[in-house]
Amino acid sequence: MKRQIKTWGTLLLGLVMVSTFVLAACSTNNGNSKGNEQPGQKVGQNSEKKDEPKTEEKVELKLGYYSSATTDAKMLELINKFQESHPNIMIKTESSPYNQFFQKLDTEIAAESAPDLWLSDGVLVPKYAERGVLKDLTELIEKDLNKDDYYGLEFNKDANGKYWGVPQGIQIAVLYYNKDLFDEAKVDYPNENWTWDDLKAAAEKLTKDSTGKYAIDPAFDKKKISQYGLTFFSITEGWMTVLKSYGGGVLDGTLKKSVINTPENKQAMDWIVDGMQRELLPTPSDLKSFPSNMAPFPSKAAAMRIGIYVRTIDANAAGLNYDVTLLPKGPSGKRFSPVIANSWVINKNATGAKGDAAWEWVKYWATVDEVQQEWAALGEAVPVKKSVANSEQFLSGAPANKKAFLDSFEFAGTLDVNAVWSEWVGKFGDSINRAFEGEITVDDALKQADTDVQKVLDEFYKK
Amino acid sequence: MVTPYLVHFIVFVLGSLLASLYFSFSNYDILNPPKWTGLDNYTKLFNEPVFWKALKNTLYFTILFVPLQTILSLILAVALNQRLKGLKIFRLSHFLPVISSWTVIMYVADAIFNPRFGFANSLLVKLGLDPQKWLQDEHLVIPLLVLIAVWKGIGYIMVIFLAGLQNVPSEVYEAAEIDGAGTFRKFRNITVPLISGTTFLVLILSTISTFQAFEQIYVMTGGAMDASSAGGPNKASLVLMIYLYQEGFSFLRMGYASAIAWVLFVILFILTVIQMTLQKKWVHYE
Repeated sequence: MKRQIKTWGTLLLGLVMVSTFVLAACSTNNGNSKGNEQPGQKVGQNSEKKDEPKTEEKVELKLGYYSSATTDAKMLELINKFQESHPNIMIKTESSPYNQFFQKLDTEIAAESAPDLWLSDGVLVPKYAERGVLKDLTELIEKDLNKDDYYGLEFNKDANGKYWGVPQGIQIAVLYYNKDLFDEAKVDYPNENWTWDDLKAAAEKLTKDSTGKYAIDPAFDKKKISQYGLTFFSITEGWMTVLKSYGGGVLDGTLKKSVINTPENKQAMDWIVDGMQRELLPTPSDLKSFPSNMAPFPSKAAAMRIGIYVRTIDANAAGLNYDVTLLPKGPSGKRFSPVIANSWVINKNATGAKGDAAWEWVKYWATVDEVQQEWAALGEAVPVKKSVANSEQFLSGAPANKKAFLDSFEFAGTLDVNAVWSEWVGKFGDSINRAFEGEITVDDALKQADTDVQKVLDEFYKK
Repeated sequence: MVTPYLVHFIVFVLGSLLASLYFSFSNYDILNPPKWTGLDNYTKLFNEPVFWKALKNTLYFTILFVPLQTILSLILAVALNQRLKGLKIFRLSHFLPVISSWTVIMYVADAIFNPRFGFANSLLVKLGLDPQKWLQDEHLVIPLLVLIAVWKGIGYIMVIFLAGLQNVPSEVYEAAEIDGAGTFRKFRNITVPLISGTTFLVLILSTISTFQAFEQIYVMTGGAMDASSAGGPNKASLVLMIYLYQEGFSFLRMGYASAIAWVLFVILFILTVIQMTLQKKWVHYE
């Protein structure tokens, strides 16, 4: 009996210790976020000696963003400048490479220790918005931003007309082509009047086997491709662009219903599958033999690509002699350019002074020309502010026809992005990739994809 | 003295276990608090063809991997359990892949099995055969992953077997030799029974490891490029752990993912109980 009491006593003691431990951990978390920031990230708390009016209380703002080494340095520089002009706001940053950033973000949201505002991939904005994590920015945008001055605000608007983010930089796709490879094959460069069939006719003259024979040559061996006419990957730089310019698509306007099994999609899919079966375009499994899905164009293993703006970095770094033009038209003359507006979003829990400070940062980013120019100089994205994007500074440099990116806004559209985007893209790919590989027919693939995608949508939206 | 352990146990073991059990009966998207939904996740799971495919793939992997690795590493251990010149170098060279990370192994495997540049295909072409898609071929992917996993894991199991072999008293062999037993006879009637305890341990460990296989398949079948494409081609290498990871972390269905984890636990538990029961028939302890 005595021993039992002792055991229970120990257990109780253990429990008390655990709860103290947990409470202590929670209370330190409030003011001071967990220790996973990179060292030296607390950016210049300068204004201590300035005589600020007492009404300006200090606000600490936790700002999250994904970055690479170059973008990180530039971001910190811009944050420093922001703090100089906003001495009452102290920014603590939290940054990591893309994948880790979003994984960590999800767990931080669960633990209520997420940043007050963060940079979201455009395709992930509805994921957070529709799950009730983000602040509705509609009123603030109406009040403080003149919508006509910016590209891409509309791309974060949901079906109910609400805005959930302010673009940080825009990715929009055009047709990239390698001039040297065109010259070598003696093919005319693509122009703005091309249809997808024109593109395929050119691709046939540009696809080459390892013995140097082009696809128009009867002796061409499609089992040993050394150069593809057009590289083709997944949704943005692959099927969505073709489907939409053929008049098809994946979801309807409500973004809750699949419209996959249509004659337009069938026609577009037939175009793609035919190209892949003749190896003018790499199939998804062909792409896996490259070090990355993006590698064929910069490594000169493809003469053309559908590419968003950021791909200019790799093409420039590889020293390619290339240019860009508008994406081809569909059979009825319709054009489509996929767009992703990577955006600043604000945490719903950032209220009061924190919420105001967060909005100050967003406004600073969107409105101040210097910020826009500095960021544009990295070559990462098309600037959000139209005046900066149309400036000589942005339009100069390679590729020569950079204006094609801006002209493409006229027929730009999002990737049917909703809360379960990654999941339906995966399910859609499961079926259509098999059609791309020639394992099932286009009809079967579309039918199956339609069922699978609708199931994903229903599960989320019909609760 | 027991308190620190209890704290650890309650917070990091029991707490997480109970939490995941609770999540498995709820709709939990990580971003919002879980909502109780009873057996929903489990009914959905058992009606989901992808789950059955993942289970089938996992079992296929296990059935190929466990016997192959056990037999090969036993043979290797016996071969390297004798006085040989350069013995340490042989042992070391078999152990090296064990300590390499899967990412490194992926690059080695890619040099061989890359459909465009790989050594395997250039060999096939030289022999006048058709090049293969290897890891991109839905029929080849699991056998190939098994071969690579055996190559990587064999050194580790070999070391366990070596320890077992060194516990077999040399008098027994001497006695058998006097009675005229040959090499195979000695192996069959002395070595195998006397290290059966070790073999049993190896079987249990390898079975559990195949059910937990994640990193290799994630890295080698495309997860490094794009998490939702891991387990390809055509889900032919989608094993339960990859399925769990995608559902929980890519698609934010943590409740459903927890249900997968518990089903996985129950399967492993049953398999281990079966192995424990069967051991009475063939494992000899001194």
